[in-house]
Amino acid sequence: MSLGKIFALDKVATFFNIIRQNGGIRASLYKLYRQDELKDGTLVGEDKYGNKYFENPRFFYGRNRWVEYNDKAYLNYDGSQVPAEWFGWLHYKTDLPPHKDPSRPKYKWMADFTENMSGTTGQYVPYSTTRAKVEPWVPKSKSS
Amino acid sequence: MLRQPLSRALTLSSPVRAAPLAARPYAAQAPPPPEKVEVFIDDKPVHVLPGTTILQAAALVGVEIPRFCYHERLAVAGNCRMCLVEIERSPKPAAACAMPVMKGMRVKTNSDLTKKAREGVMEFLLVNHPLDCPICDQGGECDLQDQSMAFGSDRSRFTDIHFSGKRAVEDKDVGPLIKTIMTRCIHCTRCIRFASEVAGVDDFGTTGRGSDMQVGTYVEKMFLSELSGNIIDLCPVGALTSKPYSFAARPWETRRIDSVDVLDPLGSNIVIATRTNEVLRILPRTNEEINEEWLSDKSRFACDGLKRQRLVTPMMTDSRGNLTPVEWEDAMVAAARALRDCPPGKLLAVAGDLADAESLVALKDLVNRLGSDSTCTEQYFPLDGAGIDLRSSYLCNTKIANVEDADFVLLIGTNTRFEAPLLNARIRKAFIHKDTDVALIGPKVDLTYEYIHVGDSASAVKDLATGSSSHEVMKRLEAAKRPVVILGADQLKTPEGAAILAYTQELALRLQDKLEDKKWKVLNVLQRTASQVAALDIGYQPGVGAALQAGPQVVYLLGADSGVVSRDQLPKGATVIYQGHHGDAGAAIADIVLPGAAYTEKRATYVNAEGRAQQTLVAVTPPGKAREDWKIIRALSEVVGQRLPYDTLDEVRDRLSEISPALVTYGDVQDNNYFAQARSLAQSLQKPVSGKVDVQLKKLEDFFMTDPISRASPTMAKCVQAVIKQKSSKY
Amino acid sequence: MQAIKALGATAPSTLLSVVKKGGFAPIVDQIRQTHLPAPKPNETRPYSPFQDASNMAEMAVARLDDLLNWGRKGSIWPMTFGLACCAVEMMHIAAPRYDMDRYGVVFRASPRQSDVMIVAGTLTNKMAPALRKVYDQMPDPRWVISMGSCANGGGYYHYSYSVVRGCDRIVPVDIYVPGCPPTAEALLYGVLQLQKKVKRMKTLQVWYRK
Repeated sequence: MSLGKIFALDKVATFFNIIRQNGGIRASLYKLYRQDELKDGTLVGEDKYGNKYFENPRFFYGRNRWVEYNDKAYLNYDGSQVPAEWFGWLHYKTDLPPHKDPSRPKYKWMADFTENMSGTTGQYVPYSTTRAKVEPWVPKSKSS
Repeated sequence: MLRQPLSRALTLSSPVRAAPLAARPYAAQAPPPPEKVEVFIDDKPVHVLPGTTILQAAALVGVEIPRFCYHERLAVAGNCRMCLVEIERSPKPAAACAMPVMKGMRVKTNSDLTKKAREGVMEFLLVNHPLDCPICDQGGECDLQDQSMAFGSDRSRFTDIHFSGKRAVEDKDVGPLIKTIMTRCIHCTRCIRFASEVAGVDDFGTTGRGSDMQVGTYVEKMFLSELSGNIIDLCPVGALTSKPYSFAARPWETRRIDSVDVLDPLGSNIVIATRTNEVLRILPRTNEEINEEWLSDKSRFACDGLKRQRLVTPMMTDSRGNLTPVEWEDAMVAAARALRDCPPGKLLAVAGDLADAESLVALKDLVNRLGSDSTCTEQYFPLDGAGIDLRSSYLCNTKIANVEDADFVLLIGTNTRFEAPLLNARIRKAFIHKDTDVALIGPKVDLTYEYIHVGDSASAVKDLATGSSSHEVMKRLEAAKRPVVILGADQLKTPEGAAILAYTQELALRLQDKLEDKKWKVLNVLQRTASQVAALDIGYQPGVGAALQAGPQVVYLLGADSGVVSRDQLPKGATVIYQGHHGDAGAAIADIVLPGAAYTEKRATYVNAEGRAQQTLVAVTPPGKAREDWKIIRALSEVVGQRLPYDTLDEVRDRLSEISPALVTYGDVQDNNYFAQARSLAQSLQKPVSGKVDVQLKKLEDFFMTDPISRASPTMAKCVQAVIKQKSSKY
Repeated sequence: MQAIKALGATAPSTLLSVVKKGGFAPIVDQIRQTHLPAPKPNETRPYSPFQDASNMAEMAVARLDDLLNWGRKGSIWPMTFGLACCAVEMMHIAAPRYDMDRYGVVFRASPRQSDVMIVAGTLTNKMAPALRKVYDQMPDPRWVISMGSCANGGGYYHYSYSVVRGCDRIVPVDIYVPGCPPTAEALLYGVLQLQKKVKRMKTLQVWYRK
């Protein structure tokens, strides 16, 4: 065991490394404010919404893959902004990120990914196909 | 002329059987009752009049004898044999419904013989009754079910495993209201007796005998009556069930709310059966003063109109003139702006047929606060003479129940059969059981009983009133001890209406003055709608003619749908605000639509043609954004800036009682005695008349669709179609 | 191809008419009026949802609202209403793995100290009055999270004679968390959605507009 480890100097080194990797003290503080977390890792990829995906096996399993959301989202990021391709990698369903996985199906008919629109005008509203108990009066159109 | 059906004429007709009549004051004038006899029912002594049946005597001591064919409002038939009881020292059991009591008779309703007799009758009935209770609409309210549980045998001796013996009968088609499953029929003949005695349509009968006996019309024929729905209630089994209600619900699933009908001016008492916020059916509720236990078809079956053509959201016209749904807030603000910008004299409120007293008073208060005095109803009534100042001038003063004690009825310009079917049933009851004669001035219509036709010219009224008539009716009227004159409110629309009313008042009062019975009232004015009496009580002006002449800028229609206000009569740029529950004539011409509640959806006061205040109760909630009517007006008043001083229903009713205490004395009807004053005020109006007396509803097909609810009802539309089809058929 | 095009042209309008005919027309109206516009994937999203102030006063009130909402969303204290198996998942979000405390979410045992009620599990007819009573005891502003199929709409027990078909028949629900039972993650996501909703509250702006 080296002397550095005994005095936990490697932790100090890691700390400075993390700050350096996150772009200095100011940028690190901003990231801490936005994400409540400061980590170092290798950038695995970036999806089309500008979210960055990182990996660092030094952290224990379950915390060694994470996403940093697009800066434009600011504090309004949300778990549903991770598109389906990256969801699998982020949740350890696959180790191959989408851009390195040639076997993923890509068809024309596949719908585009959308985030959770709840609370906005884009939200899903259920509708009933049963006939209403009361039929409303529909006024005659005077001009069309 | 043979008035009673043969069955009735042959069976005993005792004064006691008309038991409800006995309670009324006029019955006291009948000849003194004969001495009572003592009989023993299960060793309990009871004193009854001779001629009483055992079944009635038993009912007096609280012993209920099972029955199928017996019904207290119909003639005794005695053919179901369910009411067999043992009589001491009698060789065999006797039918209690047809057996008059004799002095010292000892009846055993619980003996072994009686029980065995009932069990046997039950077994015979069930031999030919299908076991389809699980798919039968009568299930749960079936007399046969109940009584076979109570009195039937606990095991079957029916061993016909080859299904060869059970009777099967083809179903009859008797119209769009009544579904028949004739295999279930137990031949109690209640429907036949109802049709010939009460409804006056002698179409039903039996054919064949023994196990080939069938109840029906012999030729396939619709049951052309305005009271046909009552045979559904009368049928003790599931042979006659309601077609619109078929397979809809079981009786134990429904919630029943007592309410009042508003589709005719009588205010029949009803029970509204609802489930999951939906009106499923309407049944009559017994009220001896009004509808006994009957109900007209329109009141009973128009309830599906409450689910069609409803106004469920406030609406406003958009830039292109089309009504589009908006929020309450927007509609309220727009309506308030229109009301506020309106010059004081240019505001007009029109109340429709189904408006309740609470909303009427709220609207009147609001309009008055806005500086206008023109509040009108759609139906006209002459304002000359006493006008609407004396309540007796526009009510049925005789009262509905007393009509059956009358000995002569004169109808002037009214077809009571369709304007007030249950009043007509009363007149028919008097006609049959009391030898009352009826005369009619107006077009020849089918009233279901014979009458003396005096012609259809209005001068006939004048001649009768002045005593110059040489018609036979004149003498009959003079001789009558309890005459009744019923004037249809429709006649008052014509320019000669005031004169006709004046003559009718003159005639009625002249007759009344000569009567021995000083309490008897002769004059009746039969209104056409449920709201009219309350509106006149509150002080609405009848008729919109004069108010429309003034060129109103803002017209507030409170459910006014009969089409008396149309766009052509209004000045250009006038704003029409419509508040009501159905999209009909009123909503079609409106600029702003405020959705209100129908009579099943609010607790509201209605005053019937006699002046009897009754209230409806909330059976279901108003659909969508619709709200109770007086609350809408109260909210609007706040937006306009003229806050009405009542926030709860009780406070509105306090206001009603300030105007007239009669509006809140529920169930009671108060006597009105200002006939002489009305007559003297009307003296100057007795001008010569020359017109004809006509009625609006002449045929059965006219009866079904008369108001926004029944116009929206598919069942009523089917009825009209079926009646027209039946009339064109050769039977 | 023509037919498909025609179908495409008519489909939305029929769908809309179905929506309008059904009981959902009021909901659609409400969404149009009260909800934020739908976000586009790559647009900049500012912190505050109130960006359309027309003058300084409105601006100031909007910022005050932001401050108030920030405080409220940072300390959402749920009243536990564990009724069935969902309650086990609800316990999980309190445990270290999901650790709801990092969002300022702390369970309280008294309705008088809590902001949100998590209805976790089957609401029976017998429990319904108690649920309502507890809800009524909570101080304003208060929210309700309906957790799991049973609380959302009766779920598996929808046709039972003794179960309320959705706790929204008893109390007004803000967030519905689907699942049977929902994972702790899903419930936590629901709490985050509630935070978003709290962030949209216009307490002072409504007061000011009056």
